[in-house]
Amino acid sequence: MRTTDVPLPKVVGLIGAGGIANAHLPAWLELGVEVVVYSTDDRAPALVAAHGGGEVAGSLDELLARAELVDVCTPTYTHPELVARAAQAGRGVICEKPLALTVEESLEMVRVCEAAGVPLYPAQVVRFFPAYRALQRSVAAGDLGTPAVLRFSRLASRPQRAWFHDPALSGGILLDQMIHDLDMARWLAGEVTQVQARAVTRDTEDGPISTAQAVLTHADGAISTVTGGWLAPTTTFRTTFGVAGTKGYLRYDSAALGPVRVDAPSAAGTGGTLLPRTLGDSPFLLELAELGSACCGGPPARVSALDGVAAVALGLAANQSLDTGGAVTVADLRTRLEPLEQH
Amino acid sequence: MKIGIHSLAHPHAEGYLRLLTARPDLQVAIADPPAVAGTPQDGAPRGRAAAEHFGVDYFDDLAALLAWQPDGVIVCTENARHRAAVEEIAAAGVPILCEKPLATTLPDADAMIAAAAAAGVPLMVAYPVRFSVAFDALRSVFDGGGIGELISFCGTNNGKLPAERDWFAQPELSGGGAIMDHTVHLADLLTVLLPEASATSVYARANTLLHADRAAAETGGLVSIEFDNGVIGTIDCSWSSPSDDLVWGGLTLQLIGSTGIADLDAFDAQHLAGFATGAGPLRRGYGDDANATMLQTFLDAVADGRSPQPDGATGRRSMAIALAAYRSLSVGEPVAVE
Repeated sequence: MRTTDVPLPKVVGLIGAGGIANAHLPAWLELGVEVVVYSTDDRAPALVAAHGGGEVAGSLDELLARAELVDVCTPTYTHPELVARAAQAGRGVICEKPLALTVEESLEMVRVCEAAGVPLYPAQVVRFFPAYRALQRSVAAGDLGTPAVLRFSRLASRPQRAWFHDPALSGGILLDQMIHDLDMARWLAGEVTQVQARAVTRDTEDGPISTAQAVLTHADGAISTVTGGWLAPTTTFRTTFGVAGTKGYLRYDSAALGPVRVDAPSAAGTGGTLLPRTLGDSPFLLELAELGSACCGGPPARVSALDGVAAVALGLAANQSLDTGGAVTVADLRTRLEPLEQH
Repeated sequence: MKIGIHSLAHPHAEGYLRLLTARPDLQVAIADPPAVAGTPQDGAPRGRAAAEHFGVDYFDDLAALLAWQPDGVIVCTENARHRAAVEEIAAAGVPILCEKPLATTLPDADAMIAAAAAAGVPLMVAYPVRFSVAFDALRSVFDGGGIGELISFCGTNNGKLPAERDWFAQPELSGGGAIMDHTVHLADLLTVLLPEASATSVYARANTLLHADRAAAETGGLVSIEFDNGVIGTIDCSWSSPSDDLVWGGLTLQLIGSTGIADLDAFDAQHLAGFATGAGPLRRGYGDDANATMLQTFLDAVADGRSPQPDGATGRRSMAIALAAYRSLSVGEPVAVE
């Protein structure tokens, strides 16, 4: 079912067959897009079988030859090379967040795509969750006045794959998970000048669990706090926000009673890491429809590659704060980004 | 039993008066001396007029109230005046319930604790939330191991800009703004949940964007805390409710543990919501009154002479976190808690 009347690629090349690919593949299929899947592990056939669509490519070259647009759903540390390969093949790229493990690599990805003349979009899907979009629209409309104090939380069961728990490969919880809310804070309250963060990791019988908290100071005077958790496997995915401005506030808790309530024995392992259940179109479908369309000459998307770089910079500043134990001044990314924007 | 209230400067005094005067077993009196020259006043009934309104005895000053020989005195002066009042009451050998925060400086708090100890009288600090049935339920889950080991927490204590009394926005009388007013409630709950742990590092950011036209101190604040057992947490202490909000505000505390998560909504979860033509949205709370439980605890202490919790030392712990937050604001970095 195509839910949007916008240009979309005929064939998308999905690289990776892990957790996030399981969200992207069904969304592409529902949008009526053909998908070729390539993964360096052996999970691509199972992914295709599970979703009843898509075709396994035998090599990255085959995928790049067949796809108009590449959707990078691999672990973070592999992003820069894969994006460069796609760009060199002349393919536009949607890249899973975070773009990369460093600001310099993220900027280089932007430069490579610009040099190749292909679009690059970060898959910062929380901007497409209905409650978060409604919040952003309301703030942009001035309903709350000037944003003053913002808070966000994102608590999930710990990711099962080991690479997430190696900060050298994932950037840790602040860069991998909390980047969503760091991005939301910046989207709503503007550029960030200072970041402070704390984190706790504990070993449990089920493996390491982590929680982290960041406090942001925005250039215009607003302050934000973000809490993240990669917690016990039984944890129900839950996100909250509370945004207070000079005229009012809006709050949200995904655990609040929704339009449908079920009181029944729950299945084992009800926890999840990807997203709380939402009604209507999947936020991944909304995201990929908008980003895919933007790559095909449609209207501009609500998130840009430079937003992706800025989000990486915030996550890294938070990590730096963990290392130093102090507050970290965030370099004014605009001075590094504007030349690119003008390009 | 005779209970005195010294000063109606803090609006909580009116709530205490309502509860105390409803009890036939208590005699109640107030002292509400005229404000010091230059102190802004609002239109709330004070002094003799307030005493007549509540039907209680009135005295011109604390010395006269103490001459009435009360069995216990509740101190509701401006925060910065707690020390002088507590020292005078303790010297008279009378048990004390002191409005929070205990004081505005650590030397003041230490002097008050020492004065009560020297006189051998209980000194209790008025932190009602720990007496609520909601917190009791959270605590039983936590103490029962229901969420495993605590690793972090998120607290919010938001409300309107306190408009009943102008001194709240005068740091020399209040000790600060939203941080001093609201951080301490959540900090007190943490002293209950983590009796063995001490806060070691505090980082705070604040602004005056909210209620900017009337803000003489910070109205927005975020406080990040680390404890010596590794627990981390944040407190949003902002006065972020619009002045025409349906409720004054609320307090929430989310505990993130090694095996689970527990959420407290100390006020907002217990209400009916509706709508009435002409009146607009309706809210009718049906929660318990934690103030009544807190006051009963104080009255019990007066009766048996024991020192109840939260005592002066406990009040000092929560207050020290707020004071560290102000030091962090001035240096822009995390600071150690004194």
